[in-house]
Amino acid sequence: MSARESHKTAGFVLRLLHYGESDLIVTFYSSDFGKLKGIAKGAKRSKKRFANVFEPFSLTNIIFTRKSRDMLAFIESCEIIEHYDIVRRDLEKTLTASYFIELADHFCPEGKKNEKIFDLLQTFLALLGTGKASDALVRFFEMRLLKFAGFEPALDHCISCKAPIANGSSYYFHAREGGIKCASCAKPERYDQPISAGTVRTLLMGKDMDIDKIKLIALTDSLALESRNLLVGFISHVLNREVKSLKVMEQVRKFCT
Amino acid sequence: MKAYAQPIKRLIAELAKLPGIGEKTAARLSNYILRATEDDVRKLAESIIEVKRRIKLCRICLNPTEDDTCYICQDKTRDQEIICVVEEPDALAAIEESGVYHGTYHVLHGALAPLDGIGPENLRLNELLLRIGSGLIKEIILATNPNVHGEATALLITRMLQEKNIKITRIAMGVPMGGDLKYIDKMTISKSLEFRRGM
Repeated sequence: MSARESHKTAGFVLRLLHYGESDLIVTFYSSDFGKLKGIAKGAKRSKKRFANVFEPFSLTNIIFTRKSRDMLAFIESCEIIEHYDIVRRDLEKTLTASYFIELADHFCPEGKKNEKIFDLLQTFLALLGTGKASDALVRFFEMRLLKFAGFEPALDHCISCKAPIANGSSYYFHAREGGIKCASCAKPERYDQPISAGTVRTLLMGKDMDIDKIKLIALTDSLALESRNLLVGFISHVLNREVKSLKVMEQVRKFCT
Repeated sequence: MKAYAQPIKRLIAELAKLPGIGEKTAARLSNYILRATEDDVRKLAESIIEVKRRIKLCRICLNPTEDDTCYICQDKTRDQEIICVVEEPDALAAIEESGVYHGTYHVLHGALAPLDGIGPENLRLNELLLRIGSGLIKEIILATNPNVHGEATALLITRMLQEKNIKITRIAMGVPMGGDLKYIDKMTISKSLEFRRGM
């Protein structure tokens, strides 16, 4: 019988599953182990050992043991590093942070370390704390996550004729082929929505832009709508499932207007 | 399980569906039921069926009740101008136990949980808006849980009611009575300092 190895890592709380009367199965996105699933025994009852730690998108220090990489970790202790209190005080920010972690959860396979995704979560949650939950912030997060997860859409050229993006032209996004086509290659139907070169350039810029500059970007209404339709459509095509937090975000907006 | 007769196996399987009951506990309970008198067993079975048949939600506050309205909504001595909004009936029961609140309640039957796909449409918010629309309500106390879901729900209700001329308050957060500061987590401590009161 192999001995249990003890590990320590920092991780964002992604998801909770109630298990039995007092246990929780917690999914983290950790810096050293990627997506990690562990059982916290007695977590629902213990007010001292696991007090306030398993809240969505909290950054925690986890000490856990496990026999092998493919087994459920046994969470020995968990301490808060960051609660993101400012995010939790704002409904729009809470919904956006939930969307970020849900995407990270869906796009990352268990046990595959990807420090860039951990840093992305840390950076964008910090940006949410200091700035607005803007459309630009959400779209640039999606672009970067798609890139780091290996699903980056081809936006810098037409995927058919390879011609680079030209100002003033219109493009059509083909989710199944993972990229844009120029108007002559796309042969658009009447119901196909064109995307402006400006939208495409903004998304390309946001993918690699300096973090400090992101909060200075404000998308116009048409640019926000075009980029949202493109990326949300592509994400649901790749995941082939509904993103629940996005649905809730839209419900809240409708409910409060 | 193999050694048990078929009816006992069925009883164990049914009891094991209850929350917190595993197969061993279910077997222990079924042994108790076997030894109990027929009268006791009938009372137990009837009370389970009665709960399912007779309990419905109060027309006003959505608290489970056997009448059209619950005993709290029927009590005219309670302050009808204040509504305390809670997530679940057990939170209402906990506040009632304290004995210090004399207003009315509204049970949402859930909290906003984006990751589980629970949005405003899944909560009993329209019923709350209807009650507020009557013009009688002066204060709403948001007593949702002090976690991410409860806070988001409180923020949502605040946003929904911001245009209305109603006082909106949130239950206090901080160290529990009889607690020891050295064992309290840092977020609770920071909240207790933020919401400190003058003496």
